[in-house]
Amino acid sequence: MAEKFEPRIVGFLCNWCSYAGADLAGTSKLKVPASLTPIRVMCSSRVDPVLVETAFLQGADGVLVAGCHPGDCHYDEGNYYARRRFAVLKKVVEGLGLESDRLRLSWISASEGQRFADVVNEFNEKIKKMGPNPLREKKSL
Amino acid sequence: MERKIGVYICECGPNISEKVDIDKVIDAIKPIDDVAVVERFKLLCSADGKKFLEEQIKKHGLTHLVVGACSPKEHEKTFMEVCENADLNPFLFQLANIREQCAWITDDKEEATKKAIRLIKAAIGRVRYHSSLEKREIESNPDVLVIGGGIAGIQASLQLAGPDRKVFLVEKDSSLGGLVKNFEKTYLGMKSAVDIIDEKIQQVNINESIKVFTDSEVEEAIGFFGNFQIKIKRKTGESEPVEFNVGAVVIATGSTLFNPDKNPKFGYGKFDNVLISLEFEKINLAGKISLKNGKPPKSVAIIHCVGREEKGYCSEICCMYSLKFASYLNNKIPNVKITNFYSDLCIPGKNDQKFYEQTKSKNVNFVRSSDVEITKKGDQLNVSYKDENNSKKNLSVDMVILSPAIEPSIDASRVAEITGVSQGDKGFFAEEHEKINPVSTSTEGVFIVGCAQGPKNISETLVQSEAASGKILSSLVPGRKIQPEVKTSQISEAFCIGCKTCLSVCSYGAITFDETKKVSVVNEVICRGCGNCVAACPSGAASIKHFKFNQLYQEIKEAVK
Amino acid sequence: MENKHHNKDVLVIGAGIAGIEASLLLSKADRKVHLVEKTSYTGGTTIKFEEVFSNMECSTCMVAPRQQELLQDKNINLITLADVEEVKGSIGNFTVKIHKKARYVNMDNCIGCNACFEPCPVSLKNEFEEGLSQRKAIYVPCAGALPNVPMIDTENCLRFKGKKCTACQEACMFEAIEYDQKDEKLELKVGTIIVATGFSIFDSNKLSKYSYNKIDDVYNSLEFERLYASNGPTEGNIVLKNGKPPKSVAIIHCVGRDETGYCSSVCCMYSLKFNHYLKSKIPEIKISEFYTDLCIPGKSHQKFYEKMKETKVNLVRFDEIEVSKQGKEIAVKYNNGSGKKDVITVDMVILAPAIKPKDSAAQLAKTLGISVDEYGFFKEENPYVSSVISSKPGIFIAGCAQGAKNIQDSVAQANAAVGKILSLS
Repeated sequence: MAEKFEPRIVGFLCNWCSYAGADLAGTSKLKVPASLTPIRVMCSSRVDPVLVETAFLQGADGVLVAGCHPGDCHYDEGNYYARRRFAVLKKVVEGLGLESDRLRLSWISASEGQRFADVVNEFNEKIKKMGPNPLREKKSL
Repeated sequence: MERKIGVYICECGPNISEKVDIDKVIDAIKPIDDVAVVERFKLLCSADGKKFLEEQIKKHGLTHLVVGACSPKEHEKTFMEVCENADLNPFLFQLANIREQCAWITDDKEEATKKAIRLIKAAIGRVRYHSSLEKREIESNPDVLVIGGGIAGIQASLQLAGPDRKVFLVEKDSSLGGLVKNFEKTYLGMKSAVDIIDEKIQQVNINESIKVFTDSEVEEAIGFFGNFQIKIKRKTGESEPVEFNVGAVVIATGSTLFNPDKNPKFGYGKFDNVLISLEFEKINLAGKISLKNGKPPKSVAIIHCVGREEKGYCSEICCMYSLKFASYLNNKIPNVKITNFYSDLCIPGKNDQKFYEQTKSKNVNFVRSSDVEITKKGDQLNVSYKDENNSKKNLSVDMVILSPAIEPSIDASRVAEITGVSQGDKGFFAEEHEKINPVSTSTEGVFIVGCAQGPKNISETLVQSEAASGKILSSLVPGRKIQPEVKTSQISEAFCIGCKTCLSVCSYGAITFDETKKVSVVNEVICRGCGNCVAACPSGAASIKHFKFNQLYQEIKEAVK
Repeated sequence: MENKHHNKDVLVIGAGIAGIEASLLLSKADRKVHLVEKTSYTGGTTIKFEEVFSNMECSTCMVAPRQQELLQDKNINLITLADVEEVKGSIGNFTVKIHKKARYVNMDNCIGCNACFEPCPVSLKNEFEEGLSQRKAIYVPCAGALPNVPMIDTENCLRFKGKKCTACQEACMFEAIEYDQKDEKLELKVGTIIVATGFSIFDSNKLSKYSYNKIDDVYNSLEFERLYASNGPTEGNIVLKNGKPPKSVAIIHCVGRDETGYCSSVCCMYSLKFNHYLKSKIPEIKISEFYTDLCIPGKSHQKFYEKMKETKVNLVRFDEIEVSKQGKEIAVKYNNGSGKKDVITVDMVILAPAIKPKDSAAQLAKTLGISVDEYGFFKEENPYVSSVISSKPGIFIAGCAQGAKNIQDSVAQANAAVGKILSLS
């Protein structure tokens, strides 16, 4: 059963900037890997460690958290908190026995459709090289 | 009650139908237990489409609705309205974006179809855990507290007061008028500033809807938009504090001047005949510009940018009022020699340059300079400076007028604490958004106008006062209830461990701590629903309506399949 | 003021940032707004910027949610491709005649898929992109334009010039293309009017010393904004005409200031913003900013200037300046503040031209019966009352239509105009 590895990437996109940027990538008909499934949150600061851990424990090969550029957060400072949490989260991911690069944080604005496409394409390639999430087989939740 | 989920997939013409095998999607969704119906439709956002959905909801007695179509940013509102029209709570609905983020990003039909199935299954999983959410309405008080009785506060009061709306205008000094009452003239047109401000004060005095408290300060402003409880106290006497309720607060505390005695090189407070701008305005208004010895000055130096280096910003009005001073001097003292020492001429208004050119033509000398220092030289003062070529030069004058930077009022910190508004750049009150929300703050219902918000001239101050009135008049309507955000945070009393982490992360001050129960409490009227507290909460006590963990978990589950 | 003719509806002319903010605030107060916009899109000039000073915030992220809200707001009747032709009456009772040009695309049917562009055989310079890229005869000005519905440019469309062509209609699956649409005349009754028609920039062609349009790689500010924009003609890649990135740039302030006679207040700040744009894409680039007086008033602006200074930008105060070709490069000859002559060579020159009223302002002023000042901006009633009050009761002015200003001040004026309207009776 030599199946080609198609990653499953969970993308937490903030409603105001990155979700709109992702939409723009679509409106501009850019090619974005279908491996990323977007999950809309109001702010990147909503993305708590439990969500990220759950995603990996459920078998996600990669997790992308995207928010507004620093200074542009619709809720003033939410993305600064996301940035701080992200630093800790990297360690948590390692603690799960996974490469910390499987978690990525990107700032994508509403006008950056191309950037969204570039980030997802690049991330997808990276995850492909890393291979599937070893926890996929051991799901216990 | 039995769950009946209706799933409808929009073809969006060829946009989705040509890129996603919709029949395959329907086949994948149909077997799901609680899905009562799965259908496709050409264009759901059209009038026909909306009618179709409404009929379907009623026909099948649907308890939840899932639509696979374009981005929620396009039509979430549209379909939520359809639900409302069909008597289905609009929050029992989820829109799966199978267009912008699925059909349009790949040419591989198989991939797009698989992804569409994932997205719709995720939406179905999520919607199962949605709760009905109701729009709330709360009573609001249309009255307004204005802190500061200078021109900004006066203008705001005049704009806001009306038979249905009282304005409480609180001023710490014994009379209204602020700084402007000290100016003989305003620059540009050189009209009487005193007349302008007196007329406005008259209008305030005869306005029955404005209650003025002079010699008074605000002690407390507790509450939230629509419902603030205010306490003010008279500074003199033993009188009891006055209490009243308002719906909004306007901070118009104005500014004060940088004190040049902080920098000995200006000679302020050291030598006679070195005045700061406000002092010069006062002696000019009193009718006689004279030196300490009673004689009129024969030569005057006006020094711009005093304190600019220390403060780190340009105060915008000093170049213009320095020109005004040159005008005062020329009008009152024949043959007086005037020299303006400046670094960069800041004259951005459309009529400013004309005023500069008119002033310059009347024998006023402009010297671009740096490193200005004032020392005594016999009976006169010596201005030493470096000119444009960096050569050291000197000029003897009778009088020196310093144009200092504008700082926030000395009361700013106190008022900031009382109202919960932060002091931002350089100590001025922080606006909610530098560009598109300059008079609002992140404390809903509290506004900032005039120099309290940042250095500016009278014309800009009037505009800001009216802008704040526009914001208040449109949102605090007598008789109209306020509809706060629905998707707010909630904190479970049972799980809250009282660590107060959530309080520190909330940008809006929407969380308070109940000292008796030792738990955090969200004020759902102020909460904007960002979710930061949820992520920060170590015990999982905080959750956001409509973005709960179990809802997002369903999406994650499908996303990884 | 109980007046039986007191109509509460408002006409807002111009759907740039000032017009958008005024309309949204009025709607919040439950007022019906007719928002008339000359072009086919909302957002005015602000949406041409990628970022805004002083914190380099993404302009789209700032404006797009407002545009979306506007489009979905039931109180706001957005009328695009429309001009105000006639205004009669007085405060509380204006009758306004609007000429609405046909879009030839049905706004209800069109879903914004853009399938009609590709087959169109006509290609011409895109005005929104300042002529730096092409568009079709059926087009939207840029990716992300709102409303996301194209229009047909009848002056260049083959069909409207008499040829047989139905390429766009054949490509449309939603029956949205309607060649038989007609221009319409609308009559609106409103109580008050807000004029928020924005600005244009000084035509650098008028001053030969800048060699604008005479030599390659001399751009004006709006052209440069589009070069940097991620949804622009080069997707944000700053390149010279030869396709290579510049190694050195001169940014020249105060272009046209002598001719207009006033400082346009925003150019120093956006020129510093350009410094940031350039450094962020081409870190090794050498930048010289030529200015006369640095105009950066306000609590937040100087710190941005200090930050830009740290990027080692060469700040040069000049008195006189001239741009000319020198071999493969561009020579910038100047007199510095002390009269000393000097010259530098650069790959690219960016001009910061003065802000002036739109060419159509004079005519609109006549139609409305309001005054313009000596510069052609709509005139405030007098300088001692709020600058949003025009010479005619019931008509207010906001934004750059009243005078050059930044976004913060434009929005404040828009809100102030609304405040004035809501406090009338």
